[in-house]
Amino acid sequence: MDEEPERAKRWEGGYERTWEVLKEDESGSLKATVEEILYQSKRKRVIESHGQVRLGMMRHLFVVIDCSRSMEDQDLKPNRLTSTLKLPVCDIMHIQCKVICFVSPSGNPKKHIAALKKAVDTVCVGEPSLYNSLNLAIQTLKHMPGHTSREILIILSSLTTCDPANIYEMTKVNIMYMLLTFLICSTDNLSCSLNVRVSIIGLSAEVRVCTVLTRETGGSYHVILDESHFKELLTLHVKPPPTSSSSECSLIRMGQYRLENCDFTLVGLSLGGYFCPQCHSNYTELPVECKVCGLTLVSAPHLARSFHHLFPLEAFIESPVEELQGNGFCQACQGELKDKSIFTCPSCRSVFCVECDLFIHDSLHCCPCCIHSQTAS
Amino acid sequence: MKLNIDGLLVYFPYDYIYPEQYSYMLELKRTLDAKGHGVLEMPSGTGKTISLLSLIVAYQRAFPLDVTKLIYCSRTVPEIEKVVEELRKLMEFYAKQTGESNNFLALALSSRKNLCIHPEVSSLRFGKEVDGKCHSLTASYIRAQRHVNPNQPVCRFYEEFDAVGRQVPLPAGIYNLDDLKDFGRRKGWCPYYMARYALLHANIVVYSYHYLLDPKIADLVSKELAKKSVVVFDEAHNIDNVCIDSMSVNITRRTLDRCQSNVDTLQNTIQNIKETDAAKLREEYRRLVEGLKEANVARETDVYLANPVLPDEILKEAVPGTIRTAEHFVGFLRRFLEYLKSRLRVQHVVQESAPQFLKDIFDKVCIDRKPLRFCAERLQSLLRTLEIADIADFSAVTLISNFATLVSTYSQGFTIIIEPFEDRTPTIANPVLHFSCMDPSIAIKPVFQRFQSVVITSGTLSPLDIYPRILDFRPVTMASFTMTLARTCLCPLIVGRGNDQVALSSKFETREDFAVIRNYGNLLLEMSAIVPDGIVAFFTSYVYMENIVASWYEQGILENIQRNKLIFIETPDAAETSMALEKYQEACENGRGAILLSVARGKVSEGIDFVHHFGRAVIMFGVPYVYTQSRILKARLEYLRDQFQIRENDFLTFDAMRHAAQCVGRAIRGKTDYGLMIFADKRYARADKRGKLPRWIQEHISDGSLNLTVDETVQLSKHFLRQMAQPFRQEDQLGLSLLTLEQLESEEMLQKISQIAHQT
Repeated sequence: MDEEPERAKRWEGGYERTWEVLKEDESGSLKATVEEILYQSKRKRVIESHGQVRLGMMRHLFVVIDCSRSMEDQDLKPNRLTSTLKLPVCDIMHIQCKVICFVSPSGNPKKHIAALKKAVDTVCVGEPSLYNSLNLAIQTLKHMPGHTSREILIILSSLTTCDPANIYEMTKVNIMYMLLTFLICSTDNLSCSLNVRVSIIGLSAEVRVCTVLTRETGGSYHVILDESHFKELLTLHVKPPPTSSSSECSLIRMGQYRLENCDFTLVGLSLGGYFCPQCHSNYTELPVECKVCGLTLVSAPHLARSFHHLFPLEAFIESPVEELQGNGFCQACQGELKDKSIFTCPSCRSVFCVECDLFIHDSLHCCPCCIHSQTAS
Repeated sequence: MKLNIDGLLVYFPYDYIYPEQYSYMLELKRTLDAKGHGVLEMPSGTGKTISLLSLIVAYQRAFPLDVTKLIYCSRTVPEIEKVVEELRKLMEFYAKQTGESNNFLALALSSRKNLCIHPEVSSLRFGKEVDGKCHSLTASYIRAQRHVNPNQPVCRFYEEFDAVGRQVPLPAGIYNLDDLKDFGRRKGWCPYYMARYALLHANIVVYSYHYLLDPKIADLVSKELAKKSVVVFDEAHNIDNVCIDSMSVNITRRTLDRCQSNVDTLQNTIQNIKETDAAKLREEYRRLVEGLKEANVARETDVYLANPVLPDEILKEAVPGTIRTAEHFVGFLRRFLEYLKSRLRVQHVVQESAPQFLKDIFDKVCIDRKPLRFCAERLQSLLRTLEIADIADFSAVTLISNFATLVSTYSQGFTIIIEPFEDRTPTIANPVLHFSCMDPSIAIKPVFQRFQSVVITSGTLSPLDIYPRILDFRPVTMASFTMTLARTCLCPLIVGRGNDQVALSSKFETREDFAVIRNYGNLLLEMSAIVPDGIVAFFTSYVYMENIVASWYEQGILENIQRNKLIFIETPDAAETSMALEKYQEACENGRGAILLSVARGKVSEGIDFVHHFGRAVIMFGVPYVYTQSRILKARLEYLRDQFQIRENDFLTFDAMRHAAQCVGRAIRGKTDYGLMIFADKRYARADKRGKLPRWIQEHISDGSLNLTVDETVQLSKHFLRQMAQPFRQEDQLGLSLLTLEQLESEEMLQKISQIAHQT
């Protein structure tokens, strides 16, 4: 991890009180540590996600990144903007999404990454406006088909928003909108009526208007603690959200590309190309909508990535460490089980530690022991 | 849930209870058992009101003969309404649990202005006007005149109430002000008089302090309340000032001029009556010879609450001959008035004690002490006899006569200060005679003596032991409760230095210091960049605030702050302030963020709550010492030192710290709320200051947060705000700071609870 050398330079860090972290280990005091609460919520996230809900797999996510004065703040190293852009924002963009002002709507992560790289050098000045960015986002999102989710993710560093109008009035405008466009929704809120879900990640502190905005639109609102927590919060948004009952369902025709090596391509200088199975147009990048026949072209990894969201791994059973029979080692990392609880896979009864449990659920999406036994048999 | 508080079954209308509530009820029960007085401090937002109500109601039901009535005194009308709503919830819970409707009568009482339903009278804007108009429609002789002259306007609501209302008691139930009005409208009865009448047999009365503490009002409203009552003063941290204000008199030249015209009116009326109805005056004379025997009998039989304006001794005597006839009395008033006028013509400041004043008045205009003492009584009698309808016009002469009675009755505890001009404007002659009460115990003494249990409670009463001393009573329980928290939601920080190591302080010597002002500005600027939504900043006085803000403006700090947040300023003008408050809240609501600059001891610091996003941080610039050069204060300090052995410095610090605590306490109004409390003055770090903060704030001040620089403060605040922004649900609180019945009854929890109350 390249975090290590950075961490070593203590003099670059802010004023920290390292001794206070120790104090939180004290037991018997009334103060439950925030870390404890956080851990609980982490667990909860794993457990929660396993309901039988319909997920919106086609997402239109509009990522808005605050580039106002407060992004220059150096509490995330080297500053908030760079830190934000370095994070795997592109992870979220595995389905169709767009970054405000930077790129045209496309499903291709490369473009996003390029745009973000360019943005690192942006000079951050002025004040952000939630109203303006929401307006811009809605202008685009409202044209998206009804079976896809419409989402806005705002990474907000500033504590203020400088709006041309009262942000709550936006609701009224949207109601009119809703009537015009026959979007079906019973709630009287504008953004809801468009089924736009606004989520916000705050970089500094809880701001009232964000709380209200996210609550009204059914999104989530989180404030980061540090870089790693920031990353965690971002990854939360990778998981597709449950669709609201009002959104349409539809079958989407998708084309598996055919990869062919050709000696020369019409587009650019790449060696390979993807051919549309319907009309044989050539594309260098995926996913994309075929310009000729309108078919959505995707690759196998794209579909696979969506798969684990639809059929996630079952949550492991948590039990106190005392109940453990047999040897006290984690099946995955082979480390000793020292924490106060252990996790058991419901199908193969293997035992894991907290870290491995999280790793399996967050990254692997399948139980290593189950796979192992399958291949063995 | 049903609780067992030390053997008493208490119905508590919520499913969960805070541990400190349980502890509070235990202490309260102890106080009631001992039939004594108590001083209890519990942080705001931990459900003080409902704990008080549930326990006392349960007590009343269990021992109906020991406690017959609860008198709940609060400060403002909205607070009164809140108490009644809590009570309603409690009663609904009782009805649901026991299945029977209990015959509790509880009501709120407020002024005529809030209760009047007469279409013309209630449309008047000022309380005094409403009172005057009401009196002119309902006075007994007005109504008597109606028999002769049917065109005489009277209040039909009062007439209706008087005709039938007294026979039928108010049906049991909970009445807030609106309920009373509704009921009054339905029946056609006057809600104000109905409520006043119903006070006598109500189980719970909720009203303002003044109905008990202000002798003039208490005499009318509260004197017949039963002895076996429990009196609760909520938000009582300023009770000594309320007592003092209710007994103090300020006389200006305008008062005297109005008084003069009042006396002239009296004279004319007497002349008229003499020509038309001399018998009336003779009758009055006869009554006065009889003396105030009736009042004396009533007091001895313990029917009435004693009135400090009407001291015991004079009840045994008859009104002295010199002022018995109406003309003589008016002449007497004239002389007294002339004397006061001459006193106001001074060029320099005079301070004297009551005996000195009496001696001087005897020397100059031959007014004896004795007739002066009867002045208030005698004037009341005269006004009654003369059938003067609109009492409001005679407030000036009433004031003067009250002054006469007080000055001749109390040789101690009062001081007279005559100032020819205000300190701030030495060139403008504006003579004022302050007759100032220095001993709050005089006004509250009858309350302590008469009622079985008096409970003084508030969020900020520290240090607890000073209240019994200045109010001169012996409490049986004194306890301070902490707030049990699942997460440390308050973060008190003491900022002692700027980034350039300049000591921050508002003390007199460094008040004008540029470096200090700049550093204060820096602090606010940096905080405005990291604290979301609302920040409330308190200064020690308006003058100080004006100076600082002006110099921030010159240094360009203000401009920088405005980039982060809007700035609003509290002014002495109430309308302006409420406008500023409204806009401030709007700015917090829509995400722009705002800073409210206000003043400790001002309106904002006392009555307004800044819940959640309305106050994420409170910054206290300096220690809010009271203006120490004031002569009234000096006299009071001297008195406290001589009489109660409280050193000047102790009292000043106590007073400053309770106001500081009030200010910073505005930010935390409950366990789900969170807020920064920043004390920007080096002096807060000293043990004598810190030790006087309420315990629930004190215990969160660690040694590491005592003398921070601005930078360190910013880092700590950032960290705190991020932590607090993490999701926080009710389940996180359960078992720690929020208990179910089972959790409460566990052995371990009871052990913990016993540590919450801190006895002194």
